[in-house]
Amino acid sequence: MSPAASTHSRNLRIAMIVLTVIGIGLATYLTYVHYAGIKPACTAGESCTKVQTSVYSKVAGVPVALMGLIGYIAILASLLAPQGENSRLATMALTLIGFGFSAYLTYRELFSIHAICEWCVSSAVILTILTCLSTWRFLRGEEAPAPAQSTAEHQAQAPLTPAS
Amino acid sequence: MPQVGNDEEDLTRKERREQARAQRKAVEEAEAARAVRRTRMTQLGIVVAIVVVAIVVIAVAAGGGGSSNHTVQKGSAREASTVSKVNAEIGGISQRGNVLGAATAPVTLVYFGDLECPVCREFTLTALPSLIQKYVRTGKLRVEYRSLETATREPETFKTQQIAALAAGAQNVMWNFIELFYNEQGQEDSGYVTEGYLSNLANQTTGLNKAKWEEDRHNPAYENAVTTDAQLANSNKFNGTPAFLIGRTGGKLQKLEEVSPSEASGFESAIESLLKK
Repeated sequence: MSPAASTHSRNLRIAMIVLTVIGIGLATYLTYVHYAGIKPACTAGESCTKVQTSVYSKVAGVPVALMGLIGYIAILASLLAPQGENSRLATMALTLIGFGFSAYLTYRELFSIHAICEWCVSSAVILTILTCLSTWRFLRGEEAPAPAQSTAEHQAQAPLTPAS
Repeated sequence: MPQVGNDEEDLTRKERREQARAQRKAVEEAEAARAVRRTRMTQLGIVVAIVVVAIVVIAVAAGGGGSSNHTVQKGSAREASTVSKVNAEIGGISQRGNVLGAATAPVTLVYFGDLECPVCREFTLTALPSLIQKYVRTGKLRVEYRSLETATREPETFKTQQIAALAAGAQNVMWNFIELFYNEQGQEDSGYVTEGYLSNLANQTTGLNKAKWEEDRHNPAYENAVTTDAQLANSNKFNGTPAFLIGRTGGKLQKLEEVSPSEASGFESAIESLLKK
């Protein structure tokens, strides 16, 4: 990979890691609030409490905040793993799952609970950005190596042939 | 000279060979890149399909809001069993207007609901029955039902259905009516609340004189009650349902927050602490 392409890929990955860490922070706070039974800080009145204590705040008895936290940690792990086709696929799949779930929860907030939790909306925004970036990154794959470097690599390998 | 001619011919042949090889390589690389793109698109499609299926399964399993299908067919056996269930739950408990429970009960819980709200349905069907059994039936708690428009899309429909409930309250069977409404709640935003639906609920409400109910529905006092409820909810900054106020009867009521509508435990601890006062 050319140095420019490599830098570009690295920056993209760093940006995704930063977003994921913010997501982990949000999900950790919401998980803590859930288990501590305290009221989440909220600028929109009681909306966050309403959402956090609604029947939709759990799926099969598991708080969605905890599921979010586990999801973000899995995304971070896929971003920190050695980069290749499989790790990019894993990141894309995990962010898509998170995005889908987050879209469903936003629908519930708007049409079933009739209250909006800004923490949840922030997480939904992060997941949307992460999904776009990871899907683009996966479909693009490794950036094509620069021709000059390809030739240089070929020449560097050439002297080995007579010796073998 | 012929030697030179051969060299040129060889060079041209070599160049052609290299050109052909380069072209073949380019075609192969392009084909390989296309294959990789196809594979990636397929993988993306599979992941998207799995996510969509998972979300649909969760939405169906969660029920309520968008996907509930618990509207009881008119005159069905299920309808009869709903009436029995409601009668068993609140039968024999004193009712007065919008209040369920003895006037002398030391603790008052004010329940703000929207009859079309699925989360209110969840509360009414899960946490509330045990509170009724444990505290209302034993004379420790009185529950006051008030309205706040949240889930109902049309303000006119909201007013009509709430006035229908309040008109049942004129005959002290409002709680039967609202319990039946929540039990038979239809799919959100499907426009299921029609005159026929309300009339059918009235038919099922034990102890309701239908003619008087129809008459009471035109009483302007109930329309005012809906406005008063909205003002009370607004003054408490409630913007979602169910919402609750709780306190000693006759004393100042406090907002009851941080409670899960599907679990009675949060309500129980608040009631217990008020009973000790």
